[in-house]
Amino acid sequence: MLVLGRFSYAGKVATVFYGGQLLFLAKMADRIADGAIVTFSLQVELFGLQMSWRFDALSWFFAVITLGAGLLSSWYASGKWGERFRRRGGNLWLLHVALAANVFSMLILLGSGDLLALFIGWELVSWASFLLMTVAGGRAIQAAMRYITYAMSGAMAILAGIVLLWSHAGGLQYAQIIDVMPQLSQAQVWLLVALFGSGFAVKMGLLPLHLWQAAAYAETPGPGAAFFGAISARMGLYAIILVLVQLIGLARLSELTIPFTFLDMRDLWAWIAVLTIILPTYTALRQTDARYLLAWHGIGQGGYMLLGVVLGDALGSAGGLLHVFNYATNQAVLFFAVFAVMFRTGTADLNKLGGLITRMPISFFAMLVGIIGLAGLPPMNGFVSKWFVYRSLMIEGEPLLFLGAIIGTLGTILSVYKLIHNTFLGQLRVEHVEVREAPWSMVAPMIILMLLIFATGVAPGLVLDWVALVQSAVGLPVVENTLGGVELASGSLDMLWVVGVLFAGFGIGALLFYSGGRTRQVHQLDNYAGGHFLTAETRYHYSDNFYAGLMHLIRPWYRGSFVWLESTLGSLLGIAASLMQRLYGARHPSIYLLVTVVATLTWVLL
Amino acid sequence: MKEIDNPIEAPVDQSRTNPLARVFDELVRFCRSRSMFMLHYCTGCGAIELPPAMTSRFDMERLGIQPMVTPRQADILLITGYVSIKTLKRVILTYEQMGSPKYVIGICSCTVNGGMYWQSYATAKQLDQYLPVDLYIAGCMPRPEAVLEGMRKLMDRIRSGEADGWKDYYRRYDWYLGNQQHLFGDDWQTPADVIGEASHYDLAEPGTEGEHTRLLQQCQKPLEPQQTFFQIGGSLEKKGESHE
Repeated sequence: MLVLGRFSYAGKVATVFYGGQLLFLAKMADRIADGAIVTFSLQVELFGLQMSWRFDALSWFFAVITLGAGLLSSWYASGKWGERFRRRGGNLWLLHVALAANVFSMLILLGSGDLLALFIGWELVSWASFLLMTVAGGRAIQAAMRYITYAMSGAMAILAGIVLLWSHAGGLQYAQIIDVMPQLSQAQVWLLVALFGSGFAVKMGLLPLHLWQAAAYAETPGPGAAFFGAISARMGLYAIILVLVQLIGLARLSELTIPFTFLDMRDLWAWIAVLTIILPTYTALRQTDARYLLAWHGIGQGGYMLLGVVLGDALGSAGGLLHVFNYATNQAVLFFAVFAVMFRTGTADLNKLGGLITRMPISFFAMLVGIIGLAGLPPMNGFVSKWFVYRSLMIEGEPLLFLGAIIGTLGTILSVYKLIHNTFLGQLRVEHVEVREAPWSMVAPMIILMLLIFATGVAPGLVLDWVALVQSAVGLPVVENTLGGVELASGSLDMLWVVGVLFAGFGIGALLFYSGGRTRQVHQLDNYAGGHFLTAETRYHYSDNFYAGLMHLIRPWYRGSFVWLESTLGSLLGIAASLMQRLYGARHPSIYLLVTVVATLTWVLL
Repeated sequence: MKEIDNPIEAPVDQSRTNPLARVFDELVRFCRSRSMFMLHYCTGCGAIELPPAMTSRFDMERLGIQPMVTPRQADILLITGYVSIKTLKRVILTYEQMGSPKYVIGICSCTVNGGMYWQSYATAKQLDQYLPVDLYIAGCMPRPEAVLEGMRKLMDRIRSGEADGWKDYYRRYDWYLGNQQHLFGDDWQTPADVIGEASHYDLAEPGTEGEHTRLLQQCQKPLEPQQTFFQIGGSLEKKGESHE
């Protein structure tokens, strides 16, 4: 990419390249399906530590999504969008390089065969993301700086955890760590979970470490945002599954009780997941920029995945893992649609759009499919994964977590409706009369994703096969799936039937509609507005201060506590830094000398 | 104001030979009369009698009548009291936006003859000069019992096929339009294409068009035609899309 990127066909080459890698992965699928672990011949020794790379089912599952997202994003960028981006002074070469760097570093991370390789992959991913975030410049730089601050502190926590493990296990191979795990005391495991957990939670955007994510993703130019939204944050989930589920084990987490409460560590993670669902989702509800709205949802939907995985039973963890795939498809198509609108109208401000359905019908349909999936309604794939998580919560007897997840879904439905209503429905603005549908290079990835979302919604068994492999690879109970869903004694799900009944209902409706006699189309301005005579200049599209009634009820809950927490931490750091500076700047070197001498003597004597 | 008598012509009934030919008509009329959505354009004090008529004591819904929020789905337009000239424009717009068959009910004396506002310069005195009123419920104000009685009467008239004011509006549109123009001025217009609708329902008769509709066509400023063009791609530098 570094070399080819200068040429105009770079995007197309990159797309073909990702396609090739995807084919390679597909070839690998047979071996993964046998439960084999594909190791790479490259092995590096560093400070006496063996580093190796390999792909198991878990890595493979995430890698497929990564490459798929990379493929479609670079396809999206390779046509008119890229031309326009370059003409506006954007650095298309840098964008493609950054995207390729992201995909590559993520593959390295996913293929890591030990903790050292994992850490190196982690750092590469962080910096590659930083590169892609900064492409747009301006506000994006600020967001990216915030991200890299978070990412670096997270990485330090991970490094501390790795050092802790190394000092006990004497090596960083996964097998060594699994062996040493039973010998560690409760307090040590506590510390490990806290260090690794907080480090990975940064990438995943779990509460309370989520503040960087929305702005950083939303400000990234089009395909980059779609790529980030689809998969980037899920690297955190990958690492969490790897370390917490595979290495430490969920059973061990349940043994760690939290003092003075009746909760254990696993409950704590479940509650973090639920809060991550609820709070960012309702923050998304308040956004007026479509990109920010989607990016906030990205944080919220991560909660469902973590919740499913932490539940740890066959159904719940399958739901969590399946949601990674489903959500990636939904979020990518939503970002594509939003950036297609932005490409044509120049704005993603939800108060400045409306009525574009007559101008951009395919983008509308793409967004419709995306929001149905994101809100978790049939017949799209998001329904299946959320159903799994809900069902698992019911079977496990977790009414409060269930309630939290439901509240989150309610917020999702409300805010995605706001998204599609304010963008595509209602009154067309005078300035958008001339708008056209986005060019083919942008529409084609959307159509592919729509088909994918629908197909995996009707036949979730296609993805569930992979999910079952992942579950067996990381040692979770494996879900028994059919093509249409699952068969359980406590209630099955067969999407073939669900979708069949749904479309039969549509069919009856269509029959009534088309047999009902002649219809007449009326002008959009020949519309009821309490008897007002409407003109094109009259704004009757209700988009500003959307959900005023609901907002009136829940506004006191938006306290910005996390922003406050972040700024408190920041200012505390500032105070500490200035104190240190005072110390350095002090004019009494003799005192330091004395202190140093005393300290050295003490150390030598003891 | 031009006083023109307003005889409602009996609908021309096509005689069909099949003895069961009327079964479906009867069925349709019966269903229509038992399921009516009502748009109440509450212009005056008569509105105060509607809540008791609609809620549990008198419970209009047991007759199949309930409120509707938009004219497109409504069957009954309920005018509850005096209509000022300004309001009348809105009432006519709303009426024309309703889908046929549609029925107009005037409640209170004010809709019949102006009532206590008879001397007002700003009030339309007789509603049926401007809209085909199917039923008046007189009184100042009529009690809920009277409202319900009126509704039952309307149901009977729908079932027997007598309530066909909406057809009259299409058949004698020129006359109604003339009265409207007399009140609002020559440039009076609504977005609805009433003449087109009349031919849509096969109700265009000699009275549909006339001097007043010609005047309307002269003054009419039609809404911008709505194009639904659908094209993927196209030139980038078209007006209105070249900013990001």
